[in-house]
Amino acid sequence: MEKIYTLSLAFISIVVINNLVLTKFLGICPYLGVSGRIDMAFGMGLAVTFVITLAGSMTWLIDHLILVPKGLEITRYVCYILVIAGAVQLVEMYLRKFFPPLYESFGIFLPLITTNCAILGLCLFLNVWATDNFPEAAVLSFGAGIGFTLAICIMAGIREQLNFSDVPKALRGAPITLITAGILTMAFMGFAGMIK
Amino acid sequence: MINIFIAQINWLELWNNSWPAGVTMLVLGLGFSIILLIADKKLKVEADPTIERIYMALPRIDCGTCGFAGCSSYAKAVAADPVLLGKCAPGGAACAQKIAEILNLQVSGEGAPKRPIVHCGAKKSDKTYFGKYDGIASCTSANATSNVQACKFGCLGYGDCKASCKFSSITIVDGLATINYNTCTGCGACAKACPRGLIEMVPFNYDKIMTVACRSQESGKDTKAFCKVGCIACKLCAKQTDAFSINNNLSKLDYSKYTPNEQFKTAMEKCPTNTIVYRGK
Repeated sequence: MEKIYTLSLAFISIVVINNLVLTKFLGICPYLGVSGRIDMAFGMGLAVTFVITLAGSMTWLIDHLILVPKGLEITRYVCYILVIAGAVQLVEMYLRKFFPPLYESFGIFLPLITTNCAILGLCLFLNVWATDNFPEAAVLSFGAGIGFTLAICIMAGIREQLNFSDVPKALRGAPITLITAGILTMAFMGFAGMIK
Repeated sequence: MINIFIAQINWLELWNNSWPAGVTMLVLGLGFSIILLIADKKLKVEADPTIERIYMALPRIDCGTCGFAGCSSYAKAVAADPVLLGKCAPGGAACAQKIAEILNLQVSGEGAPKRPIVHCGAKKSDKTYFGKYDGIASCTSANATSNVQACKFGCLGYGDCKASCKFSSITIVDGLATINYNTCTGCGACAKACPRGLIEMVPFNYDKIMTVACRSQESGKDTKAFCKVGCIACKLCAKQTDAFSINNNLSKLDYSKYTPNEQFKTAMEKCPTNTIVYRGK
């Protein structure tokens, strides 16, 4: 019981309180690039969730089973990137086969998940936060993906509305998107300190 | 210097420390390549090479004239349905020919590339204004206002066509939209943008063709009062060659009949208001 409580707290924490996009400003590239339409944003969110869950849990395993016992922490980045890149390649093949329209609309942003800093960030944060058991690492990884999906979908919803509003000419496009991102972040600041 | 550094390295210790790292990465890389190779077999997508070849034959400027999102989606559509052949205005006949060759089809029809012509020749000093227009500086709003300028048909000069042009080929020179035919691709965006429908897509059989630079359907008397270079339908050009026809107080040139010969030159010289002009490169 105690364990489930901790895990659900960890999940809520990574989704809303320590949301990687909104509080750490990681993974901004797809967050701003693919948030034009909700369906695309949701697809991107799912792709990132898959990659981040796979990468997070696998790197935790590799880290704790091989790298730390052998004293090979210096090769962390290389190993992590290897895992992430492999996972992204897998996602790309899968999408290309089963969701060609989605694959087309992602364009360059799909392979760019490889270098999505939210994913490498999460893998490294698992060390920083000293996550010492596998379920917690897996839940945190999955939660980070869900948090990313949440953030990008909210953003896409706002941007779809923005298309119909009268934005001053100087702010159209990227500027208003960045302002929106800033205000959204401030809204999420309200969650800070909810869990001790 | 370097020798000293190398001498200080304990090779055995280095080897003992580094081989597990190498093996780890080797195993990881090998594992992933095996997974990916299996996935590649299972998830292989058969890409159609003709689509790629059609795409390479297109201008790849993604102007959207064909009605598709871009050149790649047009290439896909053409490969599936050859009826859509020839929709690419910037590519023109040469491009259609290439695609037809790729698809093993015979192509026929008009070969001349279409380019826009502004059917107005009035500079600011030629026009007559009733009052001053202080509204939004766009043709669409100005066109909704009566009396923005005397001529209800002429170029307003606020540059809606200029804004629509992706290739910066249109400039407003002295209140008149002027097209740079060297950079124009014939995508037709300006023809759609003009609220007065002044811009027409015309087949250019020659680099430089003649045109009646006026759309005014007012009576000759009114046109003369409003504009110094408007067509007054005097029929002098129609007497020279039957390519010109007069309808609704306006002379119209059938561009397919145009050839650069003496008859057309005389028609141009005879025009009392200098409405007939050359357009093109």
